Amino acid sequence: MAAWDLSVIVEDLGPDAPPVTISVASDLHVGGVILKLVEKTQIKQDWSDHALWWEQKQRWLLRTAWTLEKYGIHADARLVFMHQHKPLKLGLPNGITLRLRACFSNPVFQTVMGICRMLNIRHPEELSLLRPVEEKKKKKDKDLAAEIYDLTEVPLSSVSRPCLYNGMPAHFADSPQMEAIYKMLSVTQPPPTPEVIAKQYRPASVVDKAHINGRWLDSSRCLLQQGIQENDKLWLRFKYYAFYDIDPKYDVVRLTQVYEQARWAILLEDIDCTEEEMMLFGALQYHISKVAQSEPQILSNNAAMDDLDSALQSLEVKMEGEGSSASDLLVRHNKCFGETDQMWLIVYFRPKRLTLKGYKQYWFKFQDTSISYFKSKEESIGEPIQQINLKGCEVAPDVNVAAQKFLIRLLIPAPEGMNEVYLRCENEQQYAQWMAGCRLASKGKTLADSSFQSEIQSIRSFLAMQKTNSSSSNTNASEESINPHSLVSPRYHKKYKPKQLTPRILDAYQNVAQLSLTDALMRFLQIWQALPDFGLSYVVVRFKGSRKDEVLGIAPNRLIRIDLGVGDVVKTWRYNNMKQWNVNWDIRQVAIEFEGNVNIAFSCVTADCKIVHEFIGGYIFMSTRSREKSDTLNEELFHKLTGGHEAL
Amino acid sequence: MEQVSDDELDHGAEEDSDKEDQDLDKMFGAWLGELDKLTQSLDDGRPQKALQKPPLRQETNMANFSYRFSMYNINEALNQGDTVDLDALMADLCSIEQELNTISKPNSTSRSQNKGQQRAPGGRSASTKHTGTSGSVSARPAASNISLDDITSQLEKASLSMDEAARQHRRTGSVGAVSEQDAPSQRSSVNSACASASSMDSLDTDKVTGGEAEGQSSPEEQAAKLKAEKIRVALEKIKEAQVKKLVIRVHMSDESSKTMMVDERQTVRQVLDSLLDKSHCGYSPDWSLVETITELQMERIFEDHENLVENLLNWTRDSHNKLMFIERIEKYALFKNPQNYLLGRKETSEMADRNKEALLEECFCGGSVSVPEIEGVLWLKEDGKKSWKKRYFLLRASGIYYVPKGKAKASRDLVCFLQLDHVNVYYGQDYRSKYKAPTDYCLALKHPQIQKKSQYIKYLCCDDVRTLHQWVNGIRIAKYGKQLYLNYQEAMKRTEAAYDWSSLSTSSIRSGSSSASIPESQSNHSGHSDSGVDTGSSHGRSQSVVSSIFSEAWKRGTQIEESSKV
Repeated sequence: MAAWDLSVIVEDLGPDAPPVTISVASDLHVGGVILKLVEKTQIKQDWSDHALWWEQKQRWLLRTAWTLEKYGIHADARLVFMHQHKPLKLGLPNGITLRLRACFSNPVFQTVMGICRMLNIRHPEELSLLRPVEEKKKKKDKDLAAEIYDLTEVPLSSVSRPCLYNGMPAHFADSPQMEAIYKMLSVTQPPPTPEVIAKQYRPASVVDKAHINGRWLDSSRCLLQQGIQENDKLWLRFKYYAFYDIDPKYDVVRLTQVYEQARWAILLEDIDCTEEEMMLFGALQYHISKVAQSEPQILSNNAAMDDLDSALQSLEVKMEGEGSSASDLLVRHNKCFGETDQMWLIVYFRPKRLTLKGYKQYWFKFQDTSISYFKSKEESIGEPIQQINLKGCEVAPDVNVAAQKFLIRLLIPAPEGMNEVYLRCENEQQYAQWMAGCRLASKGKTLADSSFQSEIQSIRSFLAMQKTNSSSSNTNASEESINPHSLVSPRYHKKYKPKQLTPRILDAYQNVAQLSLTDALMRFLQIWQALPDFGLSYVVVRFKGSRKDEVLGIAPNRLIRIDLGVGDVVKTWRYNNMKQWNVNWDIRQVAIEFEGNVNIAFSCVTADCKIVHEFIGGYIFMSTRSREKSDTLNEELFHKLTGGHEAL
Repeated sequence: MEQVSDDELDHGAEEDSDKEDQDLDKMFGAWLGELDKLTQSLDDGRPQKALQKPPLRQETNMANFSYRFSMYNINEALNQGDTVDLDALMADLCSIEQELNTISKPNSTSRSQNKGQQRAPGGRSASTKHTGTSGSVSARPAASNISLDDITSQLEKASLSMDEAARQHRRTGSVGAVSEQDAPSQRSSVNSACASASSMDSLDTDKVTGGEAEGQSSPEEQAAKLKAEKIRVALEKIKEAQVKKLVIRVHMSDESSKTMMVDERQTVRQVLDSLLDKSHCGYSPDWSLVETITELQMERIFEDHENLVENLLNWTRDSHNKLMFIERIEKYALFKNPQNYLLGRKETSEMADRNKEALLEECFCGGSVSVPEIEGVLWLKEDGKKSWKKRYFLLRASGIYYVPKGKAKASRDLVCFLQLDHVNVYYGQDYRSKYKAPTDYCLALKHPQIQKKSQYIKYLCCDDVRTLHQWVNGIRIAKYGKQLYLNYQEAMKRTEAAYDWSSLSTSSIRSGSSSASIPESQSNHSGHSDSGVDTGSSHGRSQSVVSSIFSEAWKRGTQIEESSKV
């Protein structure tokens, strides 16, 4: 067969180097071409990651056994010989940018799998890559300031078999820098400053949200085919809101990143919630950042072991709390308060009876889950004026540090209704202790409970937050003081001043203050998942036969149709009732058939119909996971459900 | 000792030996002995009792509540006294007896030689009353000619003494551990109660020292053993003693009622199971315990996982609340036709079973429970006013919200109406006439402890019954989440099992007594109780006598019950 010249650009020779020309025949297979190329360049290096890229056809020549003829390559083909894995800037859900080597030659689905393996994130099928929203470049120095964590030096071979060392993948244990990166991945970030939140892009409407979903990459094609170049920036995000089997023991990074994505979704009002829910989210964020800072060792070192330890510890504590006998209880009770000031002078108020300034001083005593009060200290040996059992009551703070107001509001249920009682404490110290006592008693725990001290501690630290805010203006969110505006969306920055916000967050905080880091993260996710709009990805579509744009919401279990004029859900279809769906790639229309002869068809406006197709197929794939318990990912099925004719 | 037995024989319908009498003595003497204490220290209606002392002001003290509560129920029971109650109580009584005996069984043989001396004072101190009850019980097989008055008075004695036994049972531990809350009078009464009940092997400090004293008269080794054993038993008892027991009255749909004993650890499911075992009403997951708050005209089906006693302790002493044992399809309708509750649709529809299951799985078995999207216009009764105003309400996992006037229903603008942590949801009854409600489909939300009219009770009114059920069930899901589904699955499992075991369970009930108070000893109960009574005296015949008394009583009870049903 006749030989002809094939010129190939070898990337390693530099951008300006002329193409390497080799003599080939049409029956030469791709492997032979590569061999000739390598010999010609006379560079001794590991070429195993290299492959040929056919520029005109936008395809990789990955089948080395195929001949040039079979590929249809002639002398005019522009081939590039280059690395399959190239550095990529990756924006993580926590807002931090990472540089790492990603595969440019395999379908994005596999690229994501590789990235997740490196970052130690299980269930990569839930994540995908999308093109970032362009940042408004007002100041140039911003980009320089952003720290980039570099993972490009990680040898690709070591990633393939993840073995854990000190609770993290071995490749993170190599150097202190690498450990720092793992810490960044696995520990939640401190709350962002209000300025940072305000600066971020916030979708203002459903249509805005829909536009973001047009940015997802096609999972069936490779990065290079989608125009992604070396060192380009992409976002790694959880795309499918169906988090399968989150296990805090193995999913340290995954859990942290899901939390970060959820937190930002709340802060940027990507998902709507009520004011009460926002306060609870704020309280959880506060708690999570506090706990994460106080126990960073646990996460970076040996997460699994420490989890077990803490589980055992909490078990111990529980048993202690339940099993303590009467005498033990007394001893610990005294230990908590110190022998002498087991009782305190406190001011007492009952608003219902005395409408005027009704504060009266009484001598109070806290015992078990009850408080009793006496006329004076001297009479405290006898019978109290009243004894109030706090079990089951509601406790709310009413505190203003600047005004030295320390009120505890108790709503005590009684057959006749709720009795409203205010306890006014003299100072912060007293308030923290009594507040902690009331909180525990309302849950049926006594002062002997092991959580008493930590409860006091957390109340005091929260008071400190209010103090710093009222005294100084918004300082940077350092470790000690957190601006409450960092915990809520910008809407509430306008609505409330920090010192108005603190008591509200504190109120919600009471219910979560005792959670461990993992529990707090899980709680945050649970509340997030319970929001009515959770898991909805929007796309603007035009239904067949309709003359106006409408929004299709794609959720893990259903599709919804939203009328843009009314802003209301007009129709819901559930995947359970779906018989089949298909895409007409010529007219780019998605058609879905549901049980009961319900047929819908629409074309997509803000996203390619492949993206919608992939969302639907992806969710159906996610729902098949629960049945097969095996850990191996059924990639073939995923592509079958999401690929479409075009890709195949 | 012998005199007591003779008394016994006069009334007894069967031939007895000493040992048998002692066994009966042991049981009823002890309980009856405590009747004194009960009337002395507990009955507020008799101020002339010297020992009575005004109770501490502890408005919300649980112990006092439980105590008052059971008193109330007993009184109620007395007013309507019928034989069924006595039988049921006997069964429970028996189970307590068995419980006590099984605990002390290991050491009973070594102690048997001391039994005589030990029992004597107890028997004597209680002898007067004692004859009364034992007589009545042993006479039961031939009881057809006993007058109603007789039965009532016997019931009174039996139930009161049983209540006391339960109370004392609970208190023994605190006597040992010296609880500050017990008034001195109460403590002394319990002490003496224990002394008189010593033959029952009930334990307190006095008893332990008593045991030591006995030990001196017998060989030293045995004494040491005895002591160690007693300490062990004492520890067990202290544990047991903290368990509250309550005598409750359960009303049936046919106006009849049952009295039974529950302990504070029992869940509604457990109580339902034992009720189902006792009454032969066929097993269905719809059987419910319904709390009816007469004064507020509202009712609530207790959830299966809830603790029954905890809920009942919220009732006030003078309350006219009722606990109903009744079939309610609303209880699990949510799971039988989930499509009508979970999808937020306005119209009822059918769904294939396969899809129902998938829907339930999806709603309850995910990472978090998805609360159904329920929203719409409801009528709200304004605080303190008679008028009802329309508002647009929405249910979310975090609570119930409404849309303020002039706003769209965007999440951020919603106003929180109520968070669900501290309230339960009730069906309102006939609010149309009581509160001038627009319709009869009302629901109320309140803290379980509120028992009287209060501004803290929120009333909502729906336009139709379907909306009402959707809201109530939506609130249940938001409040209990997956637990609700687990309850249902458990109930279904019981139903399936009930078909397999139906024949067996009836026979076991007939053969002896049934236990409501001890969850772990529901089967082969009678065998236990016999041997428990028996080991102390190691006499063959007493076994048959005791068991036959009980089984006879039980049979009669069930016969009456059945005939009254038909």
